[in-house]
Amino acid sequence: MAPMLQSSQPWVEKYRPKQVKDVAHQDEVVKVLSNTLETTNCPHMLFYGPPGTGKTTTALAIAHQLYGPELYKSRVLELNASDDRGINVVRTKIKDFAAVAVGSGHRQGGYPCPPYKIIILDEADSMTEDAQNALRRTMETYSKVTRFFFICNYISRIIEPLASRCAKFRFKPLSEEIMSSRILHICNEEGLNLDSEALSTLSSISQGDLRRAITYLQGAARLFGSNISSKDLISVSGVIPQEVVQALFAACKSGDFDLANKEVNNVIAEGYPVSQMLSQLFDVVVEADDISDEQKARICKRLGETDKCLVDGADEYLQLLEVASNTMRALCNMPQEFSFES
Amino acid sequence: MVMGKRSTIIISSSDDEKKDPLWNSSRSNSKSKSKSSVRGTNPRGSKKARLSDSRSRLCNDSSNVNEITLFCEDFDDGFSGFKVSTGSGKSSRKDLWVDKYKPRSLEELAVHKKKVEEVKVWFEERLKATREEFCNHVLVITGQAGVGKSATIQVIASHLKARVCEWNTPTPTIWQEHMHNSNAGIRYTSKLDEFESFVERIRKYGLVQSSFTGELKSSVILLIDDLPVTNGKVAYGRLYNCLHLLVRSTRIPTAILITDYGKSDSADHPARSFEELQLSLENAGACKVAFNPITTNSIKKTLSRICRQEQCNVTAEQIDLIAKASGGDIRHAITSLQYFCLKPDPMRSLSLSNPTTSYSKEKSDELNPLDDGFSLPFGRDETLSLFHALGKFLHNKRETEYSIASDQDAFLVRERFTRLPLKMDAPEKVLCQAHGQARPIADFLHENVLDFLNEEAIDDAWAVASYLSDADFLLATLRGMIARNHEADSVVQSAAASVAVRGVLFGNSHPLPSRWHSIRRPNLWHVEQSSSHNKFELLRQRFCAYNGLSSFNASVIATEYTPVLKWLGYREPEDLEPHQVMMRGNETENDNFDGMSLDDQEGKISEDEIEDW
Amino acid sequence: MLWVDKHRPKTLDQIIVHEEVAQNLKKLVTEQDCPHLLFYGPTGSGKKTLIMALLRQMFGPGAEKVKVENKTWKVDAGSRTIDLDLTTLSSTHHVELNPSDAGFQDRYIVQEIIKEMAKNRPIDTKGKKGYKVLVLNEVDKLSREAQHSLRRTMEKYSASCRLILCCNSSSKVTEAIRSRCLNVRIHAPTEEQIVKVLEFIGNKEGVQLPSGLAARIAEKSNRSLRRAILSFETCRVQQYPFTSNQAIPPMDWEEYVSEIASDIMKEQSPKRLFQVRGKLYELLINCIPPEIILKRLLFELLKKLDAELKHEVCHWAAYYEHRMRLGQKSIFHMEAFVAKFMSIYKAFLIATFG
Repeated sequence: MAPMLQSSQPWVEKYRPKQVKDVAHQDEVVKVLSNTLETTNCPHMLFYGPPGTGKTTTALAIAHQLYGPELYKSRVLELNASDDRGINVVRTKIKDFAAVAVGSGHRQGGYPCPPYKIIILDEADSMTEDAQNALRRTMETYSKVTRFFFICNYISRIIEPLASRCAKFRFKPLSEEIMSSRILHICNEEGLNLDSEALSTLSSISQGDLRRAITYLQGAARLFGSNISSKDLISVSGVIPQEVVQALFAACKSGDFDLANKEVNNVIAEGYPVSQMLSQLFDVVVEADDISDEQKARICKRLGETDKCLVDGADEYLQLLEVASNTMRALCNMPQEFSFES
Repeated sequence: MVMGKRSTIIISSSDDEKKDPLWNSSRSNSKSKSKSSVRGTNPRGSKKARLSDSRSRLCNDSSNVNEITLFCEDFDDGFSGFKVSTGSGKSSRKDLWVDKYKPRSLEELAVHKKKVEEVKVWFEERLKATREEFCNHVLVITGQAGVGKSATIQVIASHLKARVCEWNTPTPTIWQEHMHNSNAGIRYTSKLDEFESFVERIRKYGLVQSSFTGELKSSVILLIDDLPVTNGKVAYGRLYNCLHLLVRSTRIPTAILITDYGKSDSADHPARSFEELQLSLENAGACKVAFNPITTNSIKKTLSRICRQEQCNVTAEQIDLIAKASGGDIRHAITSLQYFCLKPDPMRSLSLSNPTTSYSKEKSDELNPLDDGFSLPFGRDETLSLFHALGKFLHNKRETEYSIASDQDAFLVRERFTRLPLKMDAPEKVLCQAHGQARPIADFLHENVLDFLNEEAIDDAWAVASYLSDADFLLATLRGMIARNHEADSVVQSAAASVAVRGVLFGNSHPLPSRWHSIRRPNLWHVEQSSSHNKFELLRQRFCAYNGLSSFNASVIATEYTPVLKWLGYREPEDLEPHQVMMRGNETENDNFDGMSLDDQEGKISEDEIEDW
Repeated sequence: MLWVDKHRPKTLDQIIVHEEVAQNLKKLVTEQDCPHLLFYGPTGSGKKTLIMALLRQMFGPGAEKVKVENKTWKVDAGSRTIDLDLTTLSSTHHVELNPSDAGFQDRYIVQEIIKEMAKNRPIDTKGKKGYKVLVLNEVDKLSREAQHSLRRTMEKYSASCRLILCCNSSSKVTEAIRSRCLNVRIHAPTEEQIVKVLEFIGNKEGVQLPSGLAARIAEKSNRSLRRAILSFETCRVQQYPFTSNQAIPPMDWEEYVSEIASDIMKEQSPKRLFQVRGKLYELLINCIPPEIILKRLLFELLKKLDAELKHEVCHWAAYYEHRMRLGQKSIFHMEAFVAKFMSIYKAFLIATFG
């Protein structure tokens, strides 16, 4: 790859911890893995947990610490979801890489260099079941010379035979303090000014996902310069300002269909992503005190269905209008069934 | 039907085998089995024998003629060879009548006299004339399968004492087979490649035989049957160029046979491309003769002649029935007849196939197969039965009251969900008999169902519409997994068809008393065509007309720019005109559309058959 | 030339409506550091205008010298090669295309074009801007697979090309892509902003525009600036000098839809349904996208309904639009919606008036 302009390097890469011990907030994991590093004995591993909690970082850090920059290229194969990982790749590329034996462990330049290779499969839960099944044989056959690191968000999407062959590590969502400290560190390095309001906004909109927080921060810094306000962060992140959500919700409460329709039109015209609107609306509904559980259930059911429709590509305006209408009927205790249905 | 259809194709394959021992040995294992099983039904043996005739030696000698097969006039030779190969005593019974009773003289041809004459004169002129007198030496003969296109050529040739050299597509090598053979060093050549090289050779050397053989300087007719099927633009372009070269350069009278496929499915690409091809050939100077389906009377005459010669006991009514069902395909009619006569007891099977119905009602005979599940062995025309099936579904005939049997299914249904029992088989069965494909069935039902609803029953209309929407949804899920999962594919297909049909039956809860209705072809198909055409135009124009500066988005152009431009009268002379003419033209196109869609004949049939059903 | 095109701002500095965004973009580009960008917002909000101006800012007037190219791409798709025809707009610095035009094959287009662009990367003697820009429209219409491969190509060739993506709704763009781009939301201009622009154009054209009319045009435009300017121009042709209460000619298809709506309200029967189908066909033939027809129809129907019916009708509209998206032939679903409406409305009439 051609050398990238320094400034355009994503901060996510720039500030990625290089050592396992630097990984934020995953104490148990770090402890176990540090042991591993010392003994250089490493099982197959499966990292799972929500996005942006340091799974990939950890895997890469281990690999780097084991091999050092020189051997890294030849010993580590990194594949993520954007690489083609159909069953054919598993059968050829992965197998070929796995099959090659490597020399026994001579420490080189201060790195342990254990006598096996590592294959890192990022976002393993997006692999097809067939591919996973094919992998299982490969794992067994070459376990002497190759270790697999699986990284995924949802462990339930990894087939059981694979999961059972791995040591599983769960990554917790990052707490707000850890996030804040990390972000402040970056701000210092980059010379940014972030007031406390912006800081708390940032950690709340990124929902425990450090990568997302850093991405937002970089985006905001690029667009708005070094003084970043909470508003700038919101506009960059695609999060919908709370007032807009509240306005829609209030319109639903009012029981006036036309008012709700107007609000919906407004949301669409402002260009807010409707899926985002749904999730924020969901938060509002769940947290609301003055709504009965039954009403909440009614609303949430529709929210779920609508989300699926949106994924299928349905029209945003119609879907949001449907949600608004349904919410209104729930809030105003209108009957669930339509009166004129045959 | 299939077995009789392209019997001549096999020639070249067997030729292949002889010529190429390597090939032969490499697949002898797999091939020998299929060969022997094929032999019983196929005239291959006879053809092979014919090839061992003195003249065919020439083919093997000259290196470039494996595609060209020489036909000899004496069929008896072939038959004797066939007898040996089967080793059975009752040879005359086993042979395909289609070949056995191939017309041998002009009189025996069932094709309309005028057409035969036309073709004959054309050939006579070409053959007699000195070389340069005519500039066009190509005759295109079109017609549906089994109307005697190649038979006509053969007969005329023998009448004119000319030899027929035929190009037949070699047996297609299946890809897997090729893979299997590839270690044996045989290259895979597509039909198209071979056709191209054949044409090339013809152009360069003419027919080698004519100069090669010292014998009687007989005239030669080149016959090109079975054009390679092309897929995609590139292949089509090659075929097109190839044929044009041929038309322009050939000096030998050449007949190109093009089979019309059913026009009912508009989406069928090859069929359409053949039509285009035909047109372009005509433009390049080829003559065209279209053969109509053979009339029932001619078929009947031929069939009775065969019956007399075979001494089968077939009644006139039965012949009549077979002839009618064949849809003008004489090959099919003869095959049916043979099949029919093979039955141990023809009388009984016939009585089974139309139980106790009086013959005065011919129509009901053709409907029979749908009714009692015993399929007549000789129904050919699928669209015919498709229309009947549609008629059944749309008319939605039901019993007037519950039979006592209804207590069998003991569970109660709410009143608005109950329906009287259907006066037909399970809809799936009917569908299966009509060979209905889910997509066209859904389209046809959608087009026509509203005519059959009660004027007041908008609720029914909704029910029907919603079921059709479900069916469409099912059909669409199909698209995503094309070719990935064949089984699931067909399950979804039939589920969709089922939903569409049963939805129409169930939804129409107040069926109208039956009255005359014609079944229209889905207008939707036309709409889709013109819509995609217009879209294409739009996309094309957005660059020239708007200079690329404004938005790219087709929907924006359609909804905002076009109306405004129309309003403003901004008409760039060439750019916008065709588009708008198109729009205006739509209505007129709609009107004459039905005529175009179905052959007159078919259209008529469907209409009177549906009447009073 | 239409006023929409004639008065389109050419540079970031000329932009009136999204002034702030434009200034930020300018800063972004002049710092020589341009990340991938994703513009999203409703139609007619000015995304394309911004992008064009941005390109000009990046490359100077050279970016405006575009040529239309209709190219056939030979794409290697595993076992076979496919030919894809696609029209692109390109200058020496950028290429613009609609990958969704390629339909099912959109994935290959994305891969192939970016690869090709990366190959013949412009070598600027001044060592400046060693990258090309690829503008992809309607990314939200790309298939999942295409988005996936877009993401990979983005990473792979990020050194040699920058992507500018443009779409209506960012929900339909995968998180993976969104997180790799700088997201820029372009909201539809407010009615006041539209009025301002109309007045600006009026000035330039030397047309007297009564403020009442401008406000009404803005109101009718549904906050689409393009729409507003287009109807402004039609008004100008229709009647000049303006009066502030003059009629604003609607789009012909909208009128047609409202006709359909009143047809539906007048009679609810299978026969009428059949007639409606014919009219819907007419709209489809003229390439009006089905979802837009459906939305417009809903809009027209809602205008005429009692509140209690509105909920029901909007539910079914959403339901059938979703179906339409999943299905193959839109007319099946549109017709089902119309039938459902008729059925509901008839029941309502019977309940109210007996």
